[in-house]
Amino acid sequence: MCMKKVKAVKRGTAAVPKQPFKSHFKRYWQLYLMMLIPIIHILVFKYVPMLGSVLAFRRYRPGMSPFGTEWVGFHYFKRFLTDSMFWRAFRNTLVLSFMNLIINFPIPIIFAIFLNEVKNARFKKLVQTVSYMPRFISTVVVIAILGELLSPSSGMVNNFLQNVFGIVPVYFMNEAKYFRWLYVFTDTWQFMGWTAIIYLAAITGINTELYEAAEMDGATRIQKVFHVTLPSILPTIMVMLILDVGRMLTLGFEKVLLMYTPANSGVSDIIDTLVYRTGLTNQNYSYATAIGLFSGLIGVILVTVSNTVSRKLTGDGIY
Amino acid sequence: MGKHKKIAKSNLIFDGLVNLVMILVLLVCLLPFIYMIAMSLSDPAAIMNNEVTFWPKRLNLSSYRQIFSYPNFFRAYGNTFFYTICGTAFSLLMMIMLGYPLSKDFLRGNNFFMKMVILTMFFSGGLIPNYLLISYLRLTGTRFALLIPFAINQFNLIILINFFKTIPVELEEAALIDGMSYWKLLWKIVVPLSKPAIATIGLYSAVFFWNDWFNSLIYLNSNQYPVMLYLRNIVNGTMMVGEAAGSADKSTIAISVKAAVIIVSTLPIICIYPFLQKYFVKGMTVGSVKG
Repeated sequence: MCMKKVKAVKRGTAAVPKQPFKSHFKRYWQLYLMMLIPIIHILVFKYVPMLGSVLAFRRYRPGMSPFGTEWVGFHYFKRFLTDSMFWRAFRNTLVLSFMNLIINFPIPIIFAIFLNEVKNARFKKLVQTVSYMPRFISTVVVIAILGELLSPSSGMVNNFLQNVFGIVPVYFMNEAKYFRWLYVFTDTWQFMGWTAIIYLAAITGINTELYEAAEMDGATRIQKVFHVTLPSILPTIMVMLILDVGRMLTLGFEKVLLMYTPANSGVSDIIDTLVYRTGLTNQNYSYATAIGLFSGLIGVILVTVSNTVSRKLTGDGIY
Repeated sequence: MGKHKKIAKSNLIFDGLVNLVMILVLLVCLLPFIYMIAMSLSDPAAIMNNEVTFWPKRLNLSSYRQIFSYPNFFRAYGNTFFYTICGTAFSLLMMIMLGYPLSKDFLRGNNFFMKMVILTMFFSGGLIPNYLLISYLRLTGTRFALLIPFAINQFNLIILINFFKTIPVELEEAALIDGMSYWKLLWKIVVPLSKPAIATIGLYSAVFFWNDWFNSLIYLNSNQYPVMLYLRNIVNGTMMVGEAAGSADKSTIAISVKAAVIIVSTLPIICIYPFLQKYFVKGMTVGSVKG
């Protein structure tokens, strides 16, 4: 595979020894034509909204240009920086992101290591397949099932707690103190198996001689996990950690929106839901764009910094 | 000898622990579903009395019969199939037409276009500018609002490009010498050879369209709603389950009917993904490492 790739690249470059562009285009115009429509698609649906962010600095009038009508400078930024709702959403976003990272980063690693230790190949395959399933399920379904399980009147969890421990039914979905845990653990449920794919691939790539050598030295299987498996996949873990830190502010906005109730809004209102409410529900388009732009920029900074760190430490990054 | 015994014992305990954890994972993944299936197949009165756990009580199919008799559920289900099939087809078409030229390193300007794609992975316009653009284009309230804007996903595109790059050039060169156009070459030779990658990104696209509810909520009219939005509206009470539900036993009917909607709207995807597993596992590792 690798050889072929190298060959392909060589031939490709050999074919264009500083040809003038005109003859290059004449020869490959079909390829340029082929990507014309998709490129226009990207310009329209990705770049125009990017430019549309100028709305954060301009006043919007209904029915007029989506880029706004007149410049107002940092007016909307000043407004949200003094808005307590913004700071509440900002804090909620940070807390939820950190909780999510701390809990859901290590779990797939542990799962991958355990899965790799399963001896029976068919059982292993079964667990693997089943563990991918939740990733394919809509957030709507996840939250609907959660609502049924936790329902105070008919849910299994409350029935169990009442019958076994005599606890009065709790309306878990509506209480602020449970919101973050429910968010984090539904994420675990949905993505543990899926994220483990990358670690499993890394574990599969480990040289078996290392295990054989450890065995000769009289290592138990637990010792092999700690002294062979973990150190061998450490680079992968590092890259994944850095990338996860980079994108940690991108929370599952749709899930939060589905779980949002007036009663838990004190902890469940994150920046994305604030943008949604301000912009689409209350139609303060410019104000919402300003908030969105601000959090988008923080996201870009986080990704860029984490990627640079990843490059420096491991020589590997996403771009 | 004693040392060997110790190692063997430690390994045995470890083995037991590993298998125990795996069984636990299996149960945690499956039980919520089994619970929903049991609910959907049970007699509403049994649900009311909290008799149902993981096995249906007084088995009956009335909730399934009921949901398929609701015209709004039927329409929503049909809408979902429509968006999934058309959306995925259009999405694949666009990504193949973009991915193939971008996989050719010799093509001039390729670097620029590739950077143009990658930049959008780091910064996007955000919710409001996207919303205003789609209303400005007068797509709001039409099914195109869902089908067109989300066609190109950058991560999927990169998986596809990486796969195209592994196809041996000899095959293409032979066809080009025979006078085949690039367009024909793409569809007759490259696409059939790329089935694993196309199956992977096709699955991702299909899952995206099948599961969408938020974009449908903000862009579509209620008669265009897909089944996920229908379910969400039942769950949060913005919509009654169906006209047939009498006021007295509305809540009990709602539970078994809700469960039936959950099962019916989830089953198709769950039935498909295991067959594509070997492809997407490969796609995931290739795409994420090289992406």
